[in-house]
Amino acid sequence: MLIKIAGRNLWRNKKRSVIIISAVSIGLWAGTFLTAFYNGMIEQRINTAIGKEVSHLQLHHPKFRSDYDIQYYLPDSQKMLQTIESDSLVKIAAGRVMLKGMIASAAGSSGITINGVQAEKENSLTKLQSKIIKGSYFDAEKSNEIIISEKIRKKLKLEINKKAILTFQDKEGNLAAEAFRIIAIYKTINAPYDESNVFVKNTAVDSLAGIPNGFNEIAVLLKSNATLDESLAQLQQKFPNTEIKSWKEITPELGLTVSVADQMTLIFMGIILAALAFGIVNTMMMAVLERTREIGMLLALGMNKFKIFIMILLETFFLILAGCPIGIILALLTVAITNKTGLDLSSYTETYSSFGYDSVIYPSLTWNQLQTVLLLVILTAFISALFPAKRALQLNPAESLKK
Amino acid sequence: MKETVIDAHNLSKIYDEKTIPVYALNKVHLHISRGEFTAIKGPSGSGKTTLLNMIGGLDEPSEGFVEINGTNITELKGNELIDFRLNNIGFVFQSYNLIPVLTAKENIEFIMLLQKRPKEETDQRVLELLKQIGLEDKIDKRPQELSGGQQQRVAVARALAPKPQFILADEPTANLDSVSAENLLDIMLKLNQEENMTFIFSTHDQRVINRARRVITMEDGKIVEDTAETVIIHKPK
Ligand SMILES: Nc1ncnc2c1ncn2[C@@H]1O[C@H](COP(=O)(O)OP(=O)(O)O)[C@@H](O)[C@H]1O
Ligand SMILES: [Mg+2]
Repeated sequence: MLIKIAGRNLWRNKKRSVIIISAVSIGLWAGTFLTAFYNGMIEQRINTAIGKEVSHLQLHHPKFRSDYDIQYYLPDSQKMLQTIESDSLVKIAAGRVMLKGMIASAAGSSGITINGVQAEKENSLTKLQSKIIKGSYFDAEKSNEIIISEKIRKKLKLEINKKAILTFQDKEGNLAAEAFRIIAIYKTINAPYDESNVFVKNTAVDSLAGIPNGFNEIAVLLKSNATLDESLAQLQQKFPNTEIKSWKEITPELGLTVSVADQMTLIFMGIILAALAFGIVNTMMMAVLERTREIGMLLALGMNKFKIFIMILLETFFLILAGCPIGIILALLTVAITNKTGLDLSSYTETYSSFGYDSVIYPSLTWNQLQTVLLLVILTAFISALFPAKRALQLNPAESLKK
Repeated sequence: MKETVIDAHNLSKIYDEKTIPVYALNKVHLHISRGEFTAIKGPSGSGKTTLLNMIGGLDEPSEGFVEINGTNITELKGNELIDFRLNNIGFVFQSYNLIPVLTAKENIEFIMLLQKRPKEETDQRVLELLKQIGLEDKIDKRPQELSGGQQQRVAVARALAPKPQFILADEPTANLDSVSAENLLDIMLKLNQEENMTFIFSTHDQRVINRARRVITMEDGKIVEDTAETVIIHKPK
């Protein structure tokens, strides 16, 4: 009978029922979509990082990463590279000569990292060619070609075909300087990266740096991220004196991004849940106050407080339960659609790209996350439902009936 | 001697005790026997509702106590009191008596369902009462589909269904036209006679008062006249 009354009460104030059902479904939708959006953002960031920046694994001399000095190069690096390339789990591997140095033009100079790359392999590895916005990629025949970023071009007032001077230390600590002709301008979504990286062919700098045909960095792209730990262990066994790091360790800021995103999700989730709780408490409180007389009458007739509490709770529960499937379906639909089409945030891209994000995000969701959101929403809704129900218990029949 | 149903001793209800005390009820004694058909009359604010609320256990007296069939209900607390009301007292209020989402039949059986009476007994009783109040054809109608008079008849049937010790009706005809009021009174009287049900109701409608067998008159929280007794006036000290 309580169920009957509670159920029929749902239709008494349609506006109120619609408000609560909407609050629950919107809360659920917003929470789910938010989670999916952050998933997409993180995945996006990681994919970008792996596919265009750091690759899966990087091999260095154990001291290289702390000192960034050319004397800490990889001995026997050509043979090492061949061994790695022949591994069946490896998709591409490329060697690099990484140098800290300066780029100078008539207009000024700037501290940069010189990426001495194997032109063709590098392109497969980090899609360098695709980042070029003007000019053409390295020519196998020519040497002393340089690709600079749009940022540096502007800063140093350079143009294609103009020359820039690169200065850096060689293995012995002597200063080496060389003129390079600008053949292309690149631009990535990572502004700080653009400000400090130029590309030349490895063969143009290796001898100057004192490590002819050598590398101080080998980057490895695996066929799948799933074998990351396995491959790392295998390579470490083959090259025990080499430092091998996965993308997770190379870019700790990615881990930071993930935890910041987690925190943001938590904060937004909190806001969504608070709004939900507020909505339910207020609307149901109104419903209880509107029915003061009626509740007074029920108390007078002999319906005990427990039953009245349950009756109001049930009413709210029905509304919550009605809101859940709507919210889930809406959320799954939105996620499924945006996962296909992607969410283009190009209007916010300026701020985004400075953090290294691409402008199109593909939200995604795991069942586990959906369950968590659902649980949080239901829990919040149920807890909020307790307050109005409790309010009804404080009514005094004689006073209520005078209303 | 007739069987006593209600015994109210020295009942007082004082509002605003801290500032200017208002005696809604002032040292009232009342004795009701089984089968009575009693009207409480008096001007607005004279304490009729307050007295009925005290007798019905809807409010606590500031002084005195109420005994129903030997049980001191003033000592009952919370759900104990609610359960006592459920099993012993029938209520009819002035308006908005019925549960709006339940049909006439469901409203009448409501209390019996709360009491967990067997289904057959309940169904039978509901049908019998619907017939007695002349609303067999309105069995599945919701309160909003019934006229005010029909609603009050359903309320009376609901109060009567579980055969309580007595029925309290606070101005049951106040919102009714005179035909409906007469009609309701007819039904109450009929049930009073057929089932020996005790009715106590408040009213200021003279025609309703004329139908009562005992009339209690209240003024300023005191009983100033009672046709069942010769002298009732309690002189304040
Ligand atoms: N909750 C309350 N607070 C203060 N005074 C009240 C309250 N309820 C009733 N009263 C006062 O008690 C007196 C009796 O009221 P009531 O029993 O409702 O009279 P009646 O039903 O005869 O019209 C009135 O003076 C009324 O103003
Ligand atoms: Mg009154």
